[in-house]
Amino acid sequence: MTAPTLPGPAALSLQPVSRQRFGFLRELLRRPSGLFGVIILAIFTLLALVPDLLVGPLQTAVTATGPRLGPPSIEFPLGTDELGRSILNLTVHATRISMVIGLLATFITVAIGAVLGIVSGYVGGRFDALLMRIADFFLVLPTFVLAIILTAIIRDAIGTGSREIGGIRLSLLVIVVVIGITSWSSAARIIRSQTLSLKERAFVDRARVIGASSSHIMRRHILPNVVNLIVANAVLTFAGAILTETTLSFVGLGDPFQPSWGQLLEAARSTGAPGLGAWWYFVPAGASVVLVVFAFTLLGNALDDILNPKLAGRR
Amino acid sequence: MSLRYLARRLMTAAITVFLIVVLNFVLFRMMPGSPERILLGRTPNVSGEVIQATRERWGLDKPLFPDQFVAYLASTVQGDLGFSFGGGSRGRPVTDVLLQRLGPTLLLFGLGEVLAIILGLALGAYSGWRRGGILDHVGNGLSLVLYSTPYFLLGMGLLIVFATGLGWFPTFGISTVGQSYAGPLDQLGDMAWHLALPLATVALGLVGQYSILMRSSIVETLSEDYVTTARAKGLTEGRVLRSHALPNALLPTVTLIAINLGYVVAGAITVEVVFNWPGLGTLTVNALSSRDYPVLQGVFLLLSVGVVLANLIADLMYGFLDPRVRT
Repeated sequence: MTAPTLPGPAALSLQPVSRQRFGFLRELLRRPSGLFGVIILAIFTLLALVPDLLVGPLQTAVTATGPRLGPPSIEFPLGTDELGRSILNLTVHATRISMVIGLLATFITVAIGAVLGIVSGYVGGRFDALLMRIADFFLVLPTFVLAIILTAIIRDAIGTGSREIGGIRLSLLVIVVVIGITSWSSAARIIRSQTLSLKERAFVDRARVIGASSSHIMRRHILPNVVNLIVANAVLTFAGAILTETTLSFVGLGDPFQPSWGQLLEAARSTGAPGLGAWWYFVPAGASVVLVVFAFTLLGNALDDILNPKLAGRR
Repeated sequence: MSLRYLARRLMTAAITVFLIVVLNFVLFRMMPGSPERILLGRTPNVSGEVIQATRERWGLDKPLFPDQFVAYLASTVQGDLGFSFGGGSRGRPVTDVLLQRLGPTLLLFGLGEVLAIILGLALGAYSGWRRGGILDHVGNGLSLVLYSTPYFLLGMGLLIVFATGLGWFPTFGISTVGQSYAGPLDQLGDMAWHLALPLATVALGLVGQYSILMRSSIVETLSEDYVTTARAKGLTEGRVLRSHALPNALLPTVTLIAINLGYVVAGAITVEVVFNWPGLGTLTVNALSSRDYPVLQGVFLLLSVGVVLANLIADLMYGFLDPRVRT
């Protein structure tokens, strides 16, 4: 994009980021996909915030009271697992684990992507070329296989045991970090290309002329203008992070002491639930994954439409 | 196609493969504990001489760089990926273990890809062309739901309905255990019967994303000037779609499908686990649970190089089909 030729202070005005905020929320809720996404998000956030109030504390093999692999009944609305624990109880508690892992992984992914994208785009030159080569390398690699291997190696290296940080077991935090390491590249690419076009705009030139440092320009002028992009990207990243965590847990990298949806699905498979006809074991966790990922994909697309009007006509 | 284009693509692929090999070396040497302890197991009373002999036997007494790295490169190039550590394959060469599992995966995954590409592109092209129609809405929604569903979950659903519930298909494996066949056709039929559900899972899992890609590509193409020109010339809508929009919309889709291969591999792994399909996916999960690092290393190398090669082929096809990118 070339620098705008508008004269006078009009060109100096920053993007009307803050003025848009409220109209933006209204526009989001007016779209069926946006509304649906917000409602699903609200429901699952509630489940994740107060699981104990809704279904009591997480049941263990010791506190389990139900029959083994019992079908849904009045006492156990979603049936029980092979240890007699209530599936409803497990699924609601898994919501918290899955959502927290997804959120933390998204945060790391987007933070790495945003920092590398902005710096790479702004600094340019060899640094940019090298970084984008690395990003391309990660885009081509089968990152899931890399994630499996990294998780196993890091866990063996630091010996996770039963240590916890902030109430989350270390073994799960390893998954968070691994998802971050393996999925930053597309965010970095998108944010870099936006930075490249912003860099040529008049307000950046003016800041540079009055002597602002590069880091000041990146923090105060570039960052506020890519926030929209970061938010839309984060929502889609969250959907991807939930999927990755679920799949990693399913191949045996979950933590049975803090079960996520993926861990429940793995337990269902290794118990042989599909072969025994025990649909109630995996349908609740499975439906939760699909609903959350579906809702966030819709929400991300709606945000993309609103925040990046150039694409609006496409969908 | 210009020689320069070809050379550049080949060069990029070669560098990528080299980086993968380096990554593979570095990753697995990051591990804690010395390799000879893993080799010798957890026996406490191994004498110093035995440890020393083991270190010499496997070159662990030499420095990591350059000696061990060069030795690693040399044997990798020769197809020697070391020996399996764990489980039922302990002591067997990794290359043998991988080759034995490659066939079933290629069969399941290759057929699944072909099915998904045909179905997905057709569905995407149609709904993009009839944008806003009933099929567009239904197809788009369905595609998004399929895209949001982990492959293995789809597999578990199909399994419980069609195998456990209705009993139409077997629940696991590639062939009936202990079955004697009347002839090769009989055997092939048994395999196809076992293949049906995993294949349907792979194809359904992929169809969603391919149709979404194709749809947006068609929508974009239909707003191009040359499509307007074609319509202004008085061509029928069908003709505009077939001769003008489709060929141009196919190009970016081909590339995106190749790029997505790396992600798709994850799905293939989990589908195999659900159906106990004896391919690379079940191998990976078994190797993971017994921490059989040489096999994991081999799987990573094989899959990454496979994805890079697929991308190279897609790039070359693209260059062949579209003169604009040949420079």
